[in-house]
Amino acid sequence: MTTELDLKHYISIIRKRIWIVALVVVLGTAAAGVISYMLIKPVYQAYTKLIVNSPNIKAGMLQLDLNAINTNISLINTYKEIIRTPAIMDLVVQKHPEFGVTTEELMQKITFSSVNGTQVVTLTYTDHDYKKAANIVNAISEVFQEQIPQIMMVDNVYLLHMAKVEKMPSPVKPNPKVNMAISFVLCFLLGIGIILLLDYFDDTIKTEADVERALGLPTLGAVPSIKQGDLKRKRRKSTISAKAGEASHVSN
Amino acid sequence: MSQTEARPIITDLNPMSPISEAYRTLRTNLQFASVDRTLQLLMVTSASPREGKTTTINNLAVAYAQSEKSVILVDADLRKPTAHQTYNLSNRCGLTNVLTGQAAAADAIKETQISHLSVLPSGLIPPNPSELLGSRKMDQLLEELRSRFDIVLIDTPPVLAVSDAQVMATRCDGVLLVVNARSVKRQQAVKARDALQFVQANIVGVMLNQTSSRDVGAYYEYSQ
Repeated sequence: MTTELDLKHYISIIRKRIWIVALVVVLGTAAAGVISYMLIKPVYQAYTKLIVNSPNIKAGMLQLDLNAINTNISLINTYKEIIRTPAIMDLVVQKHPEFGVTTEELMQKITFSSVNGTQVVTLTYTDHDYKKAANIVNAISEVFQEQIPQIMMVDNVYLLHMAKVEKMPSPVKPNPKVNMAISFVLCFLLGIGIILLLDYFDDTIKTEADVERALGLPTLGAVPSIKQGDLKRKRRKSTISAKAGEASHVSN
Repeated sequence: MSQTEARPIITDLNPMSPISEAYRTLRTNLQFASVDRTLQLLMVTSASPREGKTTTINNLAVAYAQSEKSVILVDADLRKPTAHQTYNLSNRCGLTNVLTGQAAAADAIKETQISHLSVLPSGLIPPNPSELLGSRKMDQLLEELRSRFDIVLIDTPPVLAVSDAQVMATRCDGVLLVVNARSVKRQQAVKARDALQFVQANIVGVMLNQTSSRDVGAYYEYSQ
């Protein structure tokens, strides 16, 4: 069988059972929609921005030094680890017992990221409650800023931007539209997969080609299912005087 | 089960139907299927029950009769005989009576309302159908039918169910294997073919039954 015929064969298989694809897609997308809109608790994200910048110790040295910047960028990696240690988080928990969070929880939910090559770092905290997330991330940032001079013996962390508690952003997840789109694509593929699988496991003999392949015998005839409608036109012709193939001339 | 009711024969009721045309195509193909010897004694069987053996043989018989050949349909399905019901005939004297020597073939063969078509009904169902079908008397009967009719069509039980079909297959010029496109599994069909080939039967070809109507193609409508 050539590739082209193969493809045609598969397309015809899929077309015959296209309703399976439609069903799976509709059900899957609807399920994704229902789950994203109703079942999943929305997650909010609050963030603060910090800049790591060493003060110029030498007087009169006003212009920025590339070396100093690079040092700061390297420091960011160190801070990334420091912020995940109990040294910072224990203090946050002690200072703010009203949050009702544990050190482990904080360490798990905080992310510390920096855009490559810049001195700005973003502290992000995710929670189901935006206000709580904003308050926590602000508290962490403040504690972090306070603690760094003690830990590193250098005061070079400045808060650029605090999370606003009053603001009500849209949740970062779930994103129902994206979820439904992904579900649509996946269900489409799944539907086609199901059809091909059904065809693979369907070992009935459907066509003359199947007969030839399975039995190696010629097909002498193929008759579709006889429905009641086929029998209806009752022109009783018990005595046909036509030869093979000429029946049509006689009965008309 | 609908096996017990009389079934309509579409080639007789509605000869203009595309389905009837499909049976006529089968008839034509059978005429050309074997070059060396004519298929005078043709047996129809299938792998499993309810694949459409009897429907096929009835329609084929009518199709042959319509081409003015004298046809006899022998109901050798001694497990579930139906021919007497289909053609509204008495089943008191039939194939089994001839085989047991209780009646002459001439008495058992019945004319039907369809011209050129005679039927030999099964007769009363015996306890030992395979032995009856394999008897010497059967050979004699088939020879007699051969001399009296142009075409002898023999309906048999499914191959995989009982050995009757194999017994009959050795005595026929050709075997038409009915394959139901909806129900029969590939392995069953292969098994049936092997069983028939094992007894040196001449399988002339396959009749594909109950295909999805879309596959038939519009050109059958041409005749209408």
